[in-house]
Amino acid sequence: MALLKREEWQQYVRDVNWTYSYVDDEAVYPEWHSGTGKVPRSAWLTWEEDYKVTYPEYVATQRDKESSAYAVKAALQRSTTFDHLDEGWKSSTKMHFGGVALVEYAAVLGELKMARFGLNAAWRNMATFGQLDELRHAQITTFFGHEFVKKDPQYDWTQKTFHMDNWVPISLRNLFDGMMIAPNVVDLAIALPFTFETGFTNLQFVALSADALEAGDVNFANMISSIQTDEARHSQQGGPTMEILVEHDPVRAQWIIDKNFWGSARAFAALTGPAMDYYTPLEHRKQSYREFMEEWIIDQFVHTIEDYGLKKPWFWDEFMRGLDTWHHGLHMGLWFWRPTLWWRPKAAVSKDERDWLREKYPNWETVYGDKWDVIIDNINNNNVEATLPETLPWLCSMCNLPCCNAVQARNGRWRVPEWSLTYDGKTFQFCSNACRQIWWKDRDNVNHETLIDRFLAGQIQPMDVGGILTHMGLTPEVMGDDPDYEAWTKDYAGRPATGIAAVAAPAGQEGA
Amino acid sequence: MTTAQPRRSRPHKTFSAFGDIRRMPSDYEVVTHAQNWTMRKNRTSAFEQNPSSPPNLWFLTYRDHSPLQVEDWDAFRDPDALTYRTYVGLQAEAETKTGGVLEQYAEAGADATLSPGQVSLLTKVFTPSRYLLHGMQQVEAYLGYLAPTSYVTNTAGFATADCLRRVTLVAYRTRELELAHPGAGAGSADRGVWERHEAWQPARKAIEKALIAYDWGEAFTALNLVLAPTLDDVLLRQFKEVSRDNGDQESWLLSSYLEEDSDRRARWSGALARFTLEHRPENEAVLRRWIDRWAPIADAAAAGLGTLLETLPERGRSAREVESGARAKREEFLSGIFSGADVSTGKERAGR
Repeated sequence: MALLKREEWQQYVRDVNWTYSYVDDEAVYPEWHSGTGKVPRSAWLTWEEDYKVTYPEYVATQRDKESSAYAVKAALQRSTTFDHLDEGWKSSTKMHFGGVALVEYAAVLGELKMARFGLNAAWRNMATFGQLDELRHAQITTFFGHEFVKKDPQYDWTQKTFHMDNWVPISLRNLFDGMMIAPNVVDLAIALPFTFETGFTNLQFVALSADALEAGDVNFANMISSIQTDEARHSQQGGPTMEILVEHDPVRAQWIIDKNFWGSARAFAALTGPAMDYYTPLEHRKQSYREFMEEWIIDQFVHTIEDYGLKKPWFWDEFMRGLDTWHHGLHMGLWFWRPTLWWRPKAAVSKDERDWLREKYPNWETVYGDKWDVIIDNINNNNVEATLPETLPWLCSMCNLPCCNAVQARNGRWRVPEWSLTYDGKTFQFCSNACRQIWWKDRDNVNHETLIDRFLAGQIQPMDVGGILTHMGLTPEVMGDDPDYEAWTKDYAGRPATGIAAVAAPAGQEGA
Repeated sequence: MTTAQPRRSRPHKTFSAFGDIRRMPSDYEVVTHAQNWTMRKNRTSAFEQNPSSPPNLWFLTYRDHSPLQVEDWDAFRDPDALTYRTYVGLQAEAETKTGGVLEQYAEAGADATLSPGQVSLLTKVFTPSRYLLHGMQQVEAYLGYLAPTSYVTNTAGFATADCLRRVTLVAYRTRELELAHPGAGAGSADRGVWERHEAWQPARKAIEKALIAYDWGEAFTALNLVLAPTLDDVLLRQFKEVSRDNGDQESWLLSSYLEEDSDRRARWSGALARFTLEHRPENEAVLRRWIDRWAPIADAAAAGLGTLLETLPERGRSAREVESGARAKREEFLSGIFSGADVSTGKERAGR
C-alpha cells in the first residue's frame, strides 16, 4: 500500500492560518514588515503557489542534488583545470564569487522574512523552502570559492567583499538591502522572486554557465546550473503575490517592478556587462551583452508585465539606450580604478576585440575609442602611472555606481550629462534621469551618504588613494591590475601618441 | 599613485575572516562564517540606506540594542555543525523512516483499530497542534531573520524547516484519520478546537504572544528556552507515552522520530544560551528576567493540554502530572545552561 497522494492531504499543511485573539493582527504583521497597504487583509487568503512541494519530497530531491554537485567537485579537485583557465575567465569567476555568495545569503534573510511575515500560511511555507534553497546557494558558492583561496588570494573576497566599504559592494548592498532584506514582504516578493529571480538571475546563471563550459571550467558550470534548478521552486512566490497586488493596487505593483528592474539593470551592467563583452575571450563570445539582454531579459520581462496588465516602465527608452553605453562606461571605470577591485580586469581592446565591439555596438568607437587610445598610447610609452587613478569618480546617489553614462545630444555629440537635484540644502548627483527620479520618490528610505560623501566628510583617512584603498579593504596581494597589458596594446605599438598621452608622456619617451 | 604598503602576509589557505589560524576551519565553518553583511564591522547602520529608515530602526532596536549582548557573535558554533548539505541528508534519511512507518501502519489498517478515547486524543490534541507548530515555525523564522550571526540564523532556519516537517507529518496523519474516522473532527474541526477549546487557549495565547516578542533575544528565550521545551515535552514525550498506553504504537513511533528535531533544537539553543553567559556574565540577569516572564505562560499552556491528556483517552495521565513533568523537563534543561555544565560547545572558535 502506497502513501497517500500529496493532493489528498496538502491542504492541511497549507491551511494553518488562524484568527488571533490575544494580540492584534497588526502587531503580528506590522505594516513595515508585512506591507498589505491598500490590499484588504482577507484578499491574501486566496494566495496559492503554482508549484507544490512537500517536505519529504524536498529533502529527498535536494539530498540527491547535493551529492552530485559535490561529487563533480571532488572528481575535478585534483585536476589542473584551474591552472589553465584564461585570466579573463578567472576574473569573471572572482567577480561572481565575491559578488554573489553573500547576496545568496541576503536572500536567505529575505526568505526568512517572508516565512515570518508573509500574509498567508502557504506563502510562509514556500518561503521556508526558499530560505533553505538560498542557504544552499550561499554555501555551495562560498565552498567552491574557498577552494581557490590557496591558489589565488583574490578568491578571499568570496567571503570578504560585502564586509568591505568598497564602492562595488556598497552599490550592491544598496540594491540588495532594498530588494531582499529590508522591504516589506509584499514588495520583497515582487522585487526578488518576481523581478529579479525570474529575469536577471537567468542572465548571470545561464550566460555564465555557457561561458564556463566554453572556457573549460566544468566545476563552475556544474555549480551554477545546479543552483539554477532551485529557482523554479522558490521564485513561485512572486506570481501569486503579484496577482493579488495588481488586483488591488496596480500602481504600487508597477512602481515596485519598475524601480527594482532599474536597479538590477544598473548592477548587471556593472558586473555581467564587462564579464560578457570584455573578460570572456573573443573566441568564446557567443552573444554580446546587449543581445543577451534582449533575448533573456527584455522580451521575457515585457511579456510578463503585460500579462499582468502592467506597462513598460516609464524609463524604458533611457534603459534601452543604455544597453549600448552603460556597461562600456562602467568597464572603463572598473579598469581605470582597477586597484580597487578583487579581480584582474582585462581591458580587452586589441584590434580584433575592437572590431567585435564595433560590430556589436556601432557607436562604440565614437564614444569610447579615443579614450582607450589615450590609455593605449600611455601604456606603449611605458607610462602606466598615467593610467592609474589619482582621485575618485562622482558616484550616483541612487545606484552608487560612477556617473559615467554617455548620452548623445541633439547635435550628435556624446557627453556625460549631469543629473542632479537639491534637497534639504544639499546637492545630489545621479548617473541617469531614472536614478534621480527613483531617489526622489524613495528619498526617505534611500537618502544616505555615498562613498564620496564619506570621503569629503573626512571619514576616510588619509585623504588620498592609499587611504581610500585601505578603507576599501584592498591589500597589495589582492589589488586588481590588468593581467596582460601587452595582449591588447601590442597591436598599436609604434604608432605616434596622440592627444593627452602625447602631452602627458614623460620627456624622451614619446613614440618609444 | 601612492599606496600604503601594509605588511605582506603569508599566503592564506582559508578566508582571512578567520584571522591568523593554524588550524584549517572545518567545512561547516567555511560555509557558515560571517555570511550576514548586515553585521559587518564599522557599519553606520544595518542596511545601506537612510540610518533612520524603518528597517534600520527595527534592526537597531530589536537586534543591535537587544539587552542580550555578546562582543563577537561569530564565535558561536552549532554543536551539530549542520550545513545545508548535512541537513538535507539527515532529514531525507529521517523522512524515509517516517514514510516507512506511515506505510506499514496504513497497510495494517491501524487507524481502524484505535480506541475511541485515543481517536479523541488524536483529534483534540494531535491534529489541532499543527496551528501551534506553524506559529513556532514563524517565530523560528523571525529568529533567523534577526539573529546577530549567520551561525545562529542557519540553526534557526533549520529549526524553521523542522517545524514545517512536523506540520507536514501532522497534516498527513490528519487526512488519514479523517478517512478512517469521518466525523471525528480530524481536518474539519481542528481550527475550531485550536481557536475555541478551553484547553488549548493558554497554548494559543503563548504562541501569539511569542509572535510579538520583537527583541530577537527575547523571542529566542521565549520559544527555544521556555515554550518549546515545555510544550514539546507535552506534545511529543507525554503524548507519545499516553498514546502507547492506549495501544497507539504509530503515534508513539512517529513522535519518537520527531523528538530528534526537538532535541537538536535544544542542543543548539542550550549551547547558545551558555555561550552568551560565558562571553558576558551580565547576560544571566537578562535571560533570567525573560525566563521568569515566559515560564508561567508555558506552565499554563502545559496545564491546559494536560486536561486533554487526562480526560480523553481510556488510560489518561493526570493534568497535574503532565504539567509538573513538562516543568521538570524545562527546568532540567535550563539548569544545564545556568550551572555551566558542559560548556565545551561553542568554544571552538577559529582565530584563537
